[in-house]
Amino acid sequence: MILAFQSFMTLLQTRQDMLWTATWEHLQLSIISLLLSVFIALPLGIILTRKTKVAEPIIGASAVLQTIPSLALLGFMIPLIGIGTTPAIVALTAYALLPILRNTYTGIREVDPSLVEAARGMGMSSFKRLHKVELPIAMPVIMAGIRTSMVLIVGTATLAALIGAGGLGDLIMLGIARSNNEYILLGAIPAALLALFFDAILRFTEKRSGGRSIMPIVSVVIVAILIVTVPLAIRPQQADITIGGKLGSEPEIIINMHKLLIEDQTDLVVDLEPNLGQTDFVFNAIQSGNIDIYLEFAGTAIMTFLDEDLEKNDEQEVFEIARDGMEEEYGLVFLQPMAFNNTYAIAMMTELAEELDVETISDLRSYNNELTAGFTHEFADRQDGYLGIQDVYGVNFDVVTMEAGLRPHALESGDIDLMDAYATDWYIVEYDMTVLEDDETLFPPYQGAPLVRRDILEQYPEIADVLNVLGGQITDEEMQEMNHRVEVGDENAEDIAREFLQSQGLLSE
Amino acid sequence: MIEFSAVSKVFEDGTKAVNSLDFTIEKGEFFVLIGPSGCGKTTTMKMINRLIDPSEGNIKINGKNIESQDIQELRWNIGYVLQQIALFPHMTIAENIAIVPEMKKWKKQDIDKRIDELLSMVGLEPATYRNRKPKELSGGQQQRIGVIRALAGDPDIILMDEPFSALDPLSREQLRRDIGKLQKEIKKTIVFVTHDMDEALMLGNRICVMKDGTSVQIDTPENIMNHPADSFVEEFLSGYKDAWSDSVRKVMKENSTYIIEKSKMDTNVGETQFVYSGSEKTFLGKRSKSGRLVDFENTIPESYTIAEVVDVFRKCEGEILPVVDQNNALIGTVTIKDVMVYLNDSRNDGRRRG
Repeated sequence: MILAFQSFMTLLQTRQDMLWTATWEHLQLSIISLLLSVFIALPLGIILTRKTKVAEPIIGASAVLQTIPSLALLGFMIPLIGIGTTPAIVALTAYALLPILRNTYTGIREVDPSLVEAARGMGMSSFKRLHKVELPIAMPVIMAGIRTSMVLIVGTATLAALIGAGGLGDLIMLGIARSNNEYILLGAIPAALLALFFDAILRFTEKRSGGRSIMPIVSVVIVAILIVTVPLAIRPQQADITIGGKLGSEPEIIINMHKLLIEDQTDLVVDLEPNLGQTDFVFNAIQSGNIDIYLEFAGTAIMTFLDEDLEKNDEQEVFEIARDGMEEEYGLVFLQPMAFNNTYAIAMMTELAEELDVETISDLRSYNNELTAGFTHEFADRQDGYLGIQDVYGVNFDVVTMEAGLRPHALESGDIDLMDAYATDWYIVEYDMTVLEDDETLFPPYQGAPLVRRDILEQYPEIADVLNVLGGQITDEEMQEMNHRVEVGDENAEDIAREFLQSQGLLSE
Repeated sequence: MIEFSAVSKVFEDGTKAVNSLDFTIEKGEFFVLIGPSGCGKTTTMKMINRLIDPSEGNIKINGKNIESQDIQELRWNIGYVLQQIALFPHMTIAENIAIVPEMKKWKKQDIDKRIDELLSMVGLEPATYRNRKPKELSGGQQQRIGVIRALAGDPDIILMDEPFSALDPLSREQLRRDIGKLQKEIKKTIVFVTHDMDEALMLGNRICVMKDGTSVQIDTPENIMNHPADSFVEEFLSGYKDAWSDSVRKVMKENSTYIIEKSKMDTNVGETQFVYSGSEKTFLGKRSKSGRLVDFENTIPESYTIAEVVDVFRKCEGEILPVVDQNNALIGTVTIKDVMVYLNDSRNDGRRRG
């Protein structure tokens, strides 16, 4: 317990910069979204009290927004608006509308009708009545709605990391990806504190206004706007190329290499959007032009985007099929693939494998329906994943689908007997796992290569040569080691990328 | 002066609330609208400050059609007292009172002066009450604030919509008396809605009895009581009229302990006693505190109604009066308490019947 606390404090110290940045981004996301939803829902709620006939349908519509799972709502945003802060803010704002709208409407509607009549009878205009009587009396109800929305926003904003909006979700996703609870806490605790902090400010504001004056509310809003807009005004220069990456250390290391190479060899400025969630998030992002390049595997491209079965397992052939198909169908160009083959694998704890005497996937037939498997959602549903195992090997498991980062722990603790893994994953060594041999060669080769938008290549043809220097480079072992250093050693992906490139003499200095 | 000419109101759902009203309320008059619920009295009143606009006809104040005036300014000059009191709970007493003067853009010190003046007028110490919130006041105190809030902007007209019906009986009686007094001091035109005939008879200069959206009779309290226009008014008055015009004999006590024969006068010292002599019981006067026989003028003839008895009580001191017949024989006494009990009982009867 004390040790855990100490290591958490150490992490807190070493990751202070990242924590501050993440907290700041989270604060910014939350404030902008909250302000926007207040600016939309509060006036709308007021107008609805004057037009009660349309009130219920409109409130119903905002309730529908609320029923969309927040992750799905964020996913929707990518083809519509893209990735980054803007779609996250749009999604969070939409998500927070209902409580404010409903409470504003209800709060004002429930002001004692005799008070409204007194106000009218005394000769108050509609605006004055609103300002002097209805809003102050409805204020506690409205503030309750705003506070509910605020908690929703601060909580949901942690998911915004998945579409590249940053924030404390970055830390949480990192923690989940690395099955590192300290990182999860490092993100979750400040998020909770942030919610409490906002709540305290809102409550204080409400008290100060005492239902009589809206001045304290106005001043808090102005301060909030300043906090948010001033840093936006001093933004860094616009990037020429944006490179995205899926969640995980491997894409992050590789796209850092891409950035370093491009910026070293050309005058272009590169922006990175690492940890963009799973495959479809990133693919949506590149199709809508929000990112220009990302690291994709040929096998994934064929099965997921080209909707074809992988019949051949020859590396070169598979790559060519993927390259031609992607260019023809999507206008996306694969550059040269790297050496390492991050294909799927089935891993067990070495101890258990020896006990059951299994070395190949075929050996699992003797344990059909007896073993519990922890698979990612993606693997469980892929032809070159569990579906293929069922077809080719005729083996079934009791499948638990879980987040990628949670599998090693589950395997170690014995909750699951086997799991899907990637050939270059760090935890195979870390936890002493055994990779079962794919004796029927079910798993296709998964060679990573930069997938680039054709128009970007036409605009900056030089980057093809720059990135192709990585073609055939980086072995499985090298990749495993680099992954291990990031995931376990908690080193900076950019430093590792630079170190590797320098050791290969690929950078000019 | 408020003139109603051919004013009708039909609500959107087709309810005909008011039907072709014609009357004039004089400046400085205390005008009471009375009738059973649903008779259109409140609608009639709310058309004056345009909380409800008439469907037909027009209303003029001092010769000007109210629909041609700025609605806000019109309302600033018409005080409004609600049945629900409706003080704004988030404002202090002073802020509640200041609303209309502020909208009229009075100077700050004038408003402050006005608040203190009004609070003092209704017997609430300004220093104590200015900064209280409405909920810290009793119901009666709240409606006092309700009334002075309506007065604050110095309007010419004040509308009161059953202002006392939400109060307990004690506060109600007290406020009624205060409003009556206030009206004589401030000389405002007051339009007062009630369903309570006591209130109407006590406060009104003129009473308009309404039924089904029309006015059945508009007259002084005396004429309404003595010459009801039709059976509806009579029915509405029943209980009030009967009791007030009943004979004094209904409340008189014949074998009263307050009556004594002259020869026994000295033996019973202490109580008020009216003295008679002989078998004709001729009234002689009152025994003074010192035991001497003194003249007494305020005798009640047995032909008097209770209303007339109340008049005599009003003029003289004392709570007991002697009743005499036409031959000046002392036949009994009447006390204030007996009168009150009788009126109250008959009023309750009237309510029950109504």
